[in-house]
Amino acid sequence: MPLGLLVLLVAVGIAGIAVLLHLTGHSRAFEIDSEATARREWHRHCPEDEVRAVLVAANHRAALIEGAQGRGLLWSFGADTTAQQFDRVEVTDRPDGLILRLGSFTAPAVRLHLSPEERAQWRARLTGATP
Amino acid sequence: MTGLHYPDVVQLAVPGFILLILLEFGWIVWTHRGGRYETRDALTSLLMGAGNVASGIALGFVTWGFYVLLWRITPLDLGTSWGVVALCFVLDDLRYYWVHRFGHRSRWVWASHVNHHSSQHYNLTTALRQTWTGTFTFMMVLSAPLILLGFHPAMVLFVGGLNLLYQFWIHTEAIGKLPGWVEAVMNTPSHHRVHHGRNPRYLDKNYAGVFIVWDRMFGTFVTEQADDKPEYGLVHNLGTFNPLRVAFHEWIGIWNDATQPGLTLRQRFMYCVAPPGWSHDGSRRMSEGLRADHLRRHPELRGTPGFEEAGEMAPAGRGANAG
Repeated sequence: MPLGLLVLLVAVGIAGIAVLLHLTGHSRAFEIDSEATARREWHRHCPEDEVRAVLVAANHRAALIEGAQGRGLLWSFGADTTAQQFDRVEVTDRPDGLILRLGSFTAPAVRLHLSPEERAQWRARLTGATP
Repeated sequence: MTGLHYPDVVQLAVPGFILLILLEFGWIVWTHRGGRYETRDALTSLLMGAGNVASGIALGFVTWGFYVLLWRITPLDLGTSWGVVALCFVLDDLRYYWVHRFGHRSRWVWASHVNHHSSQHYNLTTALRQTWTGTFTFMMVLSAPLILLGFHPAMVLFVGGLNLLYQFWIHTEAIGKLPGWVEAVMNTPSHHRVHHGRNPRYLDKNYAGVFIVWDRMFGTFVTEQADDKPEYGLVHNLGTFNPLRVAFHEWIGIWNDATQPGLTLRQRFMYCVAPPGWSHDGSRRMSEGLRADHLRRHPELRGTPGFEEAGEMAPAGRGANAG
């Protein structure tokens, strides 16, 4: 197959499939709609951990987990969730929430959309300002 | 000097890949069963597939040069009859089994292969989520016996392409179990769902490309369990859809681990080549440890498929990196 035709076919195919999926509603994010959902999803990622406290974001896109193994973040990742335990986190304020840098190449920055009240609460938990 | 030419079947199959993805997606939407699709996940998989083709075009000369070198050395030439092609296909599938097994049991090769397992979905786009860095694993050396036995390098590449082509259609949840004889001999969607499962039971199982008989022969076969649906992805799932990060994350991980201060040379080497999850201080989990942890939580599963090994008990620790 001529290289030009191959490139065209691949480009049109990829773009077409992506547009089709988006237009048919397949870009919806997973909703962490309750503490129970957060616990279940966390257990899926970290089955050995024992969850002690959960803080779910009001927009249902993330949850801060405090477990027997330490702190962790659970967040919507497409139609699923992903999770990361962390010892240190760099927290940056934004008008609409926070950016967390967990020091991971596979999750370089996680943007959280939080109300001002939530932002203060999350920041305090993340930086250890409150127990 | 080699003269022989076969078609590049993977490139020729690109229109078929697109068509079958659309058919599978249409089936899922129509029937509300048979799998899941998500835009960014699928886009990442497709871009990984495109990158794989591009890296093959850019770096293919390395493998080809190695094969030609071997072809010059060997005094054997089995010819080009269809019988020889068929034999080459079968033996190449055995070669694939071992490359694939190395791909899960040595972190150096896993660094290349991990991206294929990095989706939490299992559909036909997942089949195209292929490596960009396969050349750097040096697994082309496992093809050396074929060429030294007299199979032409072009034939070896041709049957390798057919092998990859076969594996496309088995990346689906839209097909359940096939008739018994097919499941007994061939790699099927059911067998390969097991391979993509991150469930402890399914870790490092069903490496086959075309013929599942290799797993049965070498003790790595597990059948899909109705009460343990495969959950797809990595033990430690990624938090990015960025194809560059997907393609290179494990190589970065190797670098970070092997260059940390205070390690012996052997420990640095082991971070490169030991099974995924190996760590010098035992703080991570390899697949054996993950299975042992799971059995500790669910002792009633001991002796069931995938948990036949006795005495898999490991000390507790934090986290797991195996995939």
